[in-house]
Amino acid sequence: MALLEVRGLVKHFLGVTAVDRVDLAVEPGELVSLIGPNGSGKTTLFNCVTGYLPADGGRILFRGHDLAHVAPHRVARLGLARTFQQVSVFARLSALENLLVFLQQHQEERLLARLVRTRRLRRLEEEAVERARRLLDLVGLGARADAAAGSLSYGQRKLLAFAGALMSDPELLLLDEPAAAVNPTMIEQMKEHILALHRQGKTVLLVEHNMDVVMDISERVVVLDHGQKIAEGPPEAIRRDPRVVEAYFGR
Amino acid sequence: MRRATAVALGALVVAAPWVIAAAVPRQQRYVLHVLVFTALFAALALSYDLVVGHVGSLSLAHPAFFGIGAYTAAILATAAGWPFLADLLAAALLAAVVAALVGVPLFRLTEHAFAVGTLGLAVVAGIVANNWVEVTRGPLCITGIPKPRLGGLAITTLPGYYWLALGALAAVALLYRGLTTFRLGRAFHAVRDNEPLASSAGIDPLKYRLLAFTVGAGLAGAVGALYAHYLSVMCPEEMTIGLTVNLLVIVFLGGVGSLRGVLVGAVLFTALPEVLRLAPTWRLVIYGLLLLVVVVRSPEGLDSLLRRLGARVGR
Repeated sequence: MALLEVRGLVKHFLGVTAVDRVDLAVEPGELVSLIGPNGSGKTTLFNCVTGYLPADGGRILFRGHDLAHVAPHRVARLGLARTFQQVSVFARLSALENLLVFLQQHQEERLLARLVRTRRLRRLEEEAVERARRLLDLVGLGARADAAAGSLSYGQRKLLAFAGALMSDPELLLLDEPAAAVNPTMIEQMKEHILALHRQGKTVLLVEHNMDVVMDISERVVVLDHGQKIAEGPPEAIRRDPRVVEAYFGR
Repeated sequence: MRRATAVALGALVVAAPWVIAAAVPRQQRYVLHVLVFTALFAALALSYDLVVGHVGSLSLAHPAFFGIGAYTAAILATAAGWPFLADLLAAALLAAVVAALVGVPLFRLTEHAFAVGTLGLAVVAGIVANNWVEVTRGPLCITGIPKPRLGGLAITTLPGYYWLALGALAAVALLYRGLTTFRLGRAFHAVRDNEPLASSAGIDPLKYRLLAFTVGAGLAGAVGALYAHYLSVMCPEEMTIGLTVNLLVIVFLGGVGSLRGVLVGAVLFTALPEVLRLAPTWRLVIYGLLLLVVVVRSPEGLDSLLRRLGARVGR
């Protein structure tokens, strides 16, 4: 059974159909890319899947749960992590604290236990700090652990947000344009990170504009145009698909 | 602050009644009265900062919760003869319950609409206090609120009340610290800094906003009860929007989201104007100018400005 299955998803904005009966399935361990020209509905689809927008029709199944009307924080707790297109961090928390936020809710969410700080909670906190430091080292931010996230550079914040999504070891990772607006060196780094996740058996769904990244790393590519799925297949086939070429370059 | 300095400062604060008696014997009562007000305002400002500083919701409803607490305690102590601790608890609980009930619809509003909604609540509470004469006696005020008793100990003297207010402030500060640090504080701050991102981390923003709002309101209600017992009179004027202005000045000029900052703010804007005998008309002008200067030069508040100056002098 697919890890994520989207069937006939529909989303309207004031009469504009942003997502038009899209089917999409992601199998466990796959690395799938979602591409399409600006305004083709990629991010809207992401937002519907993660509970940020209510879908107007269709079904979204994740590990057997129907996500149609589930709030974002509940989707996250089911093991579906996402990043945002705009660089998104908790500006006044330190880099380390930013990562800790992403794990604590999965470890323990009783409010009162947090106030009394039981021994169990302190142990969980130590584990979380250890994991956060490892991830900071992984993305090369180990030395900036105590810096306020708002003081990091654009690229560093992007890496921090990426590390945040990894904190809870999610079943499925939705990455919204991880390589947008960063320099070529960092694009290479990002590619390596995503490929490393893939080798570890993680499931990744990627929205990306950068064709080099998409064609280099994806196993399968899904193409949207005007809210509709126009093509799906391995990268080589997509590159030659006349409908895709037309959608991007016109006739 | 060095540990030794902190201990010395703590001892000075606790021993203040004797120090004042020795230093300014003829004005002891007045100075102590100002200090009681400072402690109560500091506790109230901390409860307010839980909402505006830590979950970042600009609530203007705090006078309502303060007033609900003050009136609850005043009415229960006079008309029903409840003992002090019982009416204090009832005051805190009722304010918290009201906050939890109105919080659910209010937090559906976004930033500015939320501020206006809470302002509406404060205005309505003021109107009720003025006009529900059968219960609140309206502008005639509730008088003869008895002095508090803790067990067999009646708190009748000014130093006694000072220590009670100080104890209340310490309790509020402790709770404030517990709520705003470690995992709970981190969740509050995550919601404040970036709500969609906090959701993606599995945090339910509404739950944490409501928690801060409800606890803040409960503490405000408790401070209201202490205030009513101290003055022994409770009038509708005590819960006007002017109280919100004072709290905003204390919290934002002192240092929003910081225990030290709020305490510094409370001392600067409760005790100093009294001690300096500022004319009320000039006080607002000076507050306005200070707000401008601080917002432009040191948005994190006077506490951080003073610390930076201190560091520069120390070098």
